[in-house]
Amino acid sequence: MIGYVESVINGILMGSIYGLTAVGLTLIFGVMKVINFAHGSILMVGMFAAYWFVTLTGVNPYLALFVVVPFLYFFGFYLQKFVIKPIFEAEKDIREPITVIIVTTGIWYVLDNLALLLFGAEFRVAKTVVSGQMLEIFDMYFLWSKIIGAGVTLLLGIYLYWFLRHSRMGKAVRATSLDREAATLMGIKQTRIYNIVFGLGCACCGVAACVLVPFYYVYPTVGVPFDIKAFVIVVLGGLGSVPGAILGGIIIGLIETVGAQFMAATWTEMLIYVFFLFVLFVKPSGLFGLKQDY
Amino acid sequence: MKFFKVLPFLALLTALCSFGQAEAAETIKIGNIIPLSGPSASVGIQGKNAREMAVEEINAAGGIKSLGGAKLQLVFSDSKSDPTTGVTEAERLINSEKVHVLTGAWNSAVTYPVTQTAERYGMPFIVPVSVRDTITERGFKNVFRIAAKDSWWTRDQFKFLDDMKKEFGVDVKNVAFVYENGDWGVGFAEKWREMAKERGYKVVLDEPYPSTASDLTPVVIKLKRSKADVVFMTSNAADAILLTNTMAEMKVNVKAIITSGGGHADPSFLKAAGKNAEYIFDLVEWEADLNRPGLKETNEKFTKKYGYSLAGESVDAYASMYLIKDVLERAGSTKPEAVRKALIETNLCGGTVGLLAYDCIQFDQSGQNKNASLVIVQIRQKGKDMERITVWPKNVRRAGYTPVFPQPNK
Repeated sequence: MIGYVESVINGILMGSIYGLTAVGLTLIFGVMKVINFAHGSILMVGMFAAYWFVTLTGVNPYLALFVVVPFLYFFGFYLQKFVIKPIFEAEKDIREPITVIIVTTGIWYVLDNLALLLFGAEFRVAKTVVSGQMLEIFDMYFLWSKIIGAGVTLLLGIYLYWFLRHSRMGKAVRATSLDREAATLMGIKQTRIYNIVFGLGCACCGVAACVLVPFYYVYPTVGVPFDIKAFVIVVLGGLGSVPGAILGGIIIGLIETVGAQFMAATWTEMLIYVFFLFVLFVKPSGLFGLKQDY
Repeated sequence: MKFFKVLPFLALLTALCSFGQAEAAETIKIGNIIPLSGPSASVGIQGKNAREMAVEEINAAGGIKSLGGAKLQLVFSDSKSDPTTGVTEAERLINSEKVHVLTGAWNSAVTYPVTQTAERYGMPFIVPVSVRDTITERGFKNVFRIAAKDSWWTRDQFKFLDDMKKEFGVDVKNVAFVYENGDWGVGFAEKWREMAKERGYKVVLDEPYPSTASDLTPVVIKLKRSKADVVFMTSNAADAILLTNTMAEMKVNVKAIITSGGGHADPSFLKAAGKNAEYIFDLVEWEADLNRPGLKETNEKFTKKYGYSLAGESVDAYASMYLIKDVLERAGSTKPEAVRKALIETNLCGGTVGLLAYDCIQFDQSGQNKNASLVIVQIRQKGKDMERITVWPKNVRRAGYTPVFPQPNK
């Protein structure tokens, strides 16, 4: 019995961190209608940045948030400005910008191999004050770094929700996401919004990276397992929906952890995809998706 | 006019040919198919270096005396870890290079078809390392393997457990199996199940997991609740780190963790898992601290020459060259029939073979070295770093070390 309670709580904790890795992806998709295949690699860049910051300065890993998040914001901002925007403009008249997707795949390969070249294939673990610290209740153990991670996820979700609903910039972002031509006519500078949104999406990866580094190892293809999960979560939660991404993440985490108590761990992966197909079958727009044609 | 342009090349070609012919009379060519590029290149190059060092030593000591001091000559070809390339290279070495003996090919997947080619040509083939059982189980007459085969790994893990139980008077009832769900892990688990049944252990957990999992907490929760005494594990590097750290964090208490090389033997595992890896027993082919005569000197020489230490693969490659020397010495001929006969009669003990974890090389009917064995190391903290200390078999245990069994509670 206690094993199941432990699994449920651990599932929620890990799931919210999965949600955190998916938030940036859903944001970029919701506004730009671009599937960012480089998402996992950007997470990897963030993890390396956090790893080096923590290892070299020896500070509390959560202080890295204040350095890594702005770094990744500008990283994304300029990546969009100099790499993605020119392609966008070349394909202005096409409704489905396919080349952009190919470009993000290119960025993925470039970043992964650059990291391999610079840091090698070895696995690195940042030694921090929270690493290995457990919360113990009735013979159940929870990693503090995961608890903090879940908390950070919640805060980021609330902030993004407020930002998109109530801030002036957030309203402009939403307007662009609804109809980019009409928004342009209203005086919203579309390309600038895109730069900011891509930057924000990458900054979300930066948050996830700082939360992951205290308990997860870093290596050049670390983004891949999170990347695949993030895509499932985004579609499951509803394309473009921030609460959907976080909830979708928690559902995946729960299936993974609780499911494994009843069957071999290899089967839970299948269970995730079965559930995913089921949701798509019943509600094709995802759990929180709008009835909208993307 | 054109003729004069070609002339120098022709002259060079004739010179080269005659040079080759003059050499052939007194050198014995050894063809080596190993991965020198591609994913397994680093082990391939280790094997190449070890072979070169051995052949240098043999030639410096006067070559093969029964053949009038004939020198050994190494011919390398790159398999790129690709079976097709391996087979093509084998054909080339046999037909164009006219080698007398073949060795290789490290990757089981390459060795398997390459030995088939060698068999067809009646070419003696020495396999230093390649673990797949079936390589020597096809009734081939020309294939001889020095290293232990796959099924012996799991056998030795259980033998080790028996010995430990006896040595420390500890009882073990429940065992758990945790393994990656690839070819390797699933294959090991199959053998573990048989062994556990034979020895009357109760299997309380039999859990495969995907090697790419981003979170292994669910597996560790299960392991913790299973009340296992001993856990057997087969993991790649990333999941070995994740499992070891999660097990330590969730305070999983078992009497022993017995792992199967692979990820647990990866240098980055010890760095990333750190103190959490302490007390793990890891099964490997060979370890640099083995209590064997002459090992230290050879390792020092090798390290000085190439800048890194010997490893299981390179020691087997090194020993295989001395095996070839011994065989040719006894055969007194380079004819495949004579070489094969000498190989069957091999009883090579001590000397450079003593670097291996066992005493002698002797082949059984299938061509498998029947003495080949594996060693078990225990990971212990020494200063700030973690160290791998050989503990089993007892005759090679590092002098003055007593293994910790059962491991203390976390």
